[in-house]
Amino acid sequence: MDLQKLIAAMFLFALMVMPLAPLQAQSVRPPANAVNQGINEQIGDEQIGTSNTLGTNSRSDYWRDLRQGRDGLATSGQTGSKLIQAQGEQWRNIRKLYIIKYSGWVLATVIVMIALFYLIRGRILLKAGRSGKTITRFSLPHRTAHWFMASIFILLSISGLILLLGRTVLVPVIGKSTYSIFASAAMQGHNLFGPLFIVALVWLIFMFIRGNFFKMVDLKWILKGGGLLGPHASAGHYNFGEKGWFWLVVVAGLIMAISGMILEFPWLAENLQLLQISIIVHAIGAIALISAALGHIYIGTLGMEGALDSMTTGDVDVVWAKEHHDLWYEEVTGQKVANPEAEGDQSAPDRAQVSVQSQITET
Amino acid sequence: MSLLQIFEGPLFYIAVTVFVVGAIWRIWGIIAIGRKTDISPPKASAKVGFVAGNLRHFLPRKIFAKRTWVHIIAGYSFHLGLFVLVIFAAPHIAFFHDHIWGIRWPALPRWGFIIAAQFAFAGLIMLWVRRFSDPVMRLISDWDDHIGSWLTFLVMLTGCLALQESHDALKATHMLFVDIWLIYFPFSRLMHAMTFFLSRGYTGMTYGRKGMNL
Repeated sequence: MDLQKLIAAMFLFALMVMPLAPLQAQSVRPPANAVNQGINEQIGDEQIGTSNTLGTNSRSDYWRDLRQGRDGLATSGQTGSKLIQAQGEQWRNIRKLYIIKYSGWVLATVIVMIALFYLIRGRILLKAGRSGKTITRFSLPHRTAHWFMASIFILLSISGLILLLGRTVLVPVIGKSTYSIFASAAMQGHNLFGPLFIVALVWLIFMFIRGNFFKMVDLKWILKGGGLLGPHASAGHYNFGEKGWFWLVVVAGLIMAISGMILEFPWLAENLQLLQISIIVHAIGAIALISAALGHIYIGTLGMEGALDSMTTGDVDVVWAKEHHDLWYEEVTGQKVANPEAEGDQSAPDRAQVSVQSQITET
Repeated sequence: MSLLQIFEGPLFYIAVTVFVVGAIWRIWGIIAIGRKTDISPPKASAKVGFVAGNLRHFLPRKIFAKRTWVHIIAGYSFHLGLFVLVIFAAPHIAFFHDHIWGIRWPALPRWGFIIAAQFAFAGLIMLWVRRFSDPVMRLISDWDDHIGSWLTFLVMLTGCLALQESHDALKATHMLFVDIWLIYFPFSRLMHAMTFFLSRGYTGMTYGRKGMNL
């Protein structure tokens, strides 16, 4: 009876195991000697594999060397003799974990700070109100150079931000398929307008460099916080903030121009690393310029009464000139601005006085 | 039928018809007005004055050079750039061949028409900046001028954004603006592209007949 049970149990076991047999044959488990198969390879002068199982090299060393971009393991056109350009991973991480992540935050922070400044400080109004008399601040070529740069800058900023932040910001909203259209358009636009930025930059430097060198009066301007939060800060044709913005445009603009040309014409780069560095530098420069430009746009439009006139008509109100650029006003008219803070009540006689000046126009 | 097929098919042919008929109608209207008969004895040839008046306007006046150099450079940059761009860009030649007259001519290499586009963009931006920045230009400009400038800019911009030719949506956007531009053209100051020789010639004839030095 027991033997019958044993035979029955064995039969049942056999029935259970039989279907698994083909599966076992398909197992992904490698054969016992698989580790040593196919690795009898020569890496440099070192023999590895079955004949040198405890040698000076191993499979992990091989991949580590490959991973770290050791020369001679394989060939690839642009990277010379390397199969993997190890710095590429660092570049990818820097771009993804720092540049893309923080550039969005930097821009958002700048916008919030400007909004807060507007809410706290409000619009900077002319204390004496508009006098109705104007003085020429920028010529037509100056204004054309400025707006030419501004137009190109806006086009490049929008297309550049689509390329830099699009995957993070736009893809979740519009999807990958639609974003690919935006990305294609942005890339073509960015590449076309990029060289025009260099033309605009050279023209801007040529037109605006005069008067933008730093002087001692700029130090006083800084110590007074530019007059934004405290007492009046005297300034010439350009104050420290405007000079700083000009030199930021010059320095960052030149860096952007050089790195941009390398990216647009990759054959200019001797190696891939230069392209990677260019992308990082280009992105950082772009964020710095766009951030500063937001401040520039704010103070030139919403933030300060009368400021925009200098770049639309080219003429500014004499009260604006006295209150914000008193030293320039004195230089142009030859008249002393006694106390720019107290111009309000004294503006009437002063207006009569300055009306004889040829530089001043009644409007 | 896709949007692209509509914009470069039926809508395009409607737009071209409006463009051609409208432009002929405008030019005919100007010619039909005619000139008031001048009964004074001519001191020189009016026909020579017509030609001279046209040619002389291509050159800047020396006494105004300092005031006008920016928009003269911008004007030439825009108009020549746009002409090269429209006529010699390979995608345009292919479009003309496929949709209009079935003939081809040599195209500029890609870098050539990119440079032409850059000249055109630079010129157009400078001309528009002058329109709102120059006190006189601002006074004599109205919505028609600004719409014309912006439509032209958008046609060029959407064309440049579609350069990769990888998405029908971008090409369709470009074609839509081309169609709008063609329809708007005869009814706007964009017509100056076809009437400038008449106005310059009229001035040249008047002055030429009087024997004035153009």
